[in-house]
Amino acid sequence: MKRRVQSANTAQAQRWARRLSARVTKIIAAHPDADPDNVRHTLILLEEPPLERLQRSLIRGRATAIFRK
Amino acid sequence: MAAPLPFSESELRLLRVLLKRKVRFMVVGLSAATLQGAPVVTQDVDLWFENLGELKISRALQEVGAAYVPPSAFNPPMLAGAGAELFDIVLRMDGLGTFAEEFDRCVEISLGRQKLKVLSLERVLASKIAANRPKDRLSVPVLRDALAVTQAIKRRARKK
Repeated sequence: MKRRVQSANTAQAQRWARRLSARVTKIIAAHPDADPDNVRHTLILLEEPPLERLQRSLIRGRATAIFRK
Repeated sequence: MAAPLPFSESELRLLRVLLKRKVRFMVVGLSAATLQGAPVVTQDVDLWFENLGELKISRALQEVGAAYVPPSAFNPPMLAGAGAELFDIVLRMDGLGTFAEEFDRCVEISLGRQKLKVLSLERVLASKIAANRPKDRLSVPVLRDALAVTQAIKRRARKK
């Protein structure tokens, strides 16, 4: 049972990754100067609610600031 | 479990009181960009107020135990006290129109039942290009790419 759930999750993750990759390819085709990493990260963030995006940004921004000190 | 909010209870209270009292302000800068999906990091939330001298603002701040500290020789204007540390005050935005012009073009982000006005990604990019400080120049390519993505998504949604 557990193994079946794991393989379903893996298949779902692979489908998501393929879809994401296809979307990145399409956007890069229309905007050849765009950085694929920026495009991919934007697409991933757009799957999250706005306040969750801000939460992630603030956590990383503050961690970077602490690291610099 | 609900998604964690980026704001503490006192920060959220401050924003809610400002909105309840109909103070005209908007989120600008990289926090505005990240709310719209740009993969950038920030340490604070920049707020642009239409009129900092408004009585409504001082009353809202008083209600939550915070205060406005005007600029002095080496210090920018700031908010101090409960729930205010996260927020920075912006007095001037490079490369943009008047507050009223930009306010009408803002996007809205839900904050519970209230709506937070946020400078659009396109206008954040315009302000960063105009400001042209070294730290702004670093964010410009990322904002430009994020804008290309959001516009492609909007175009796709319109076609459907």
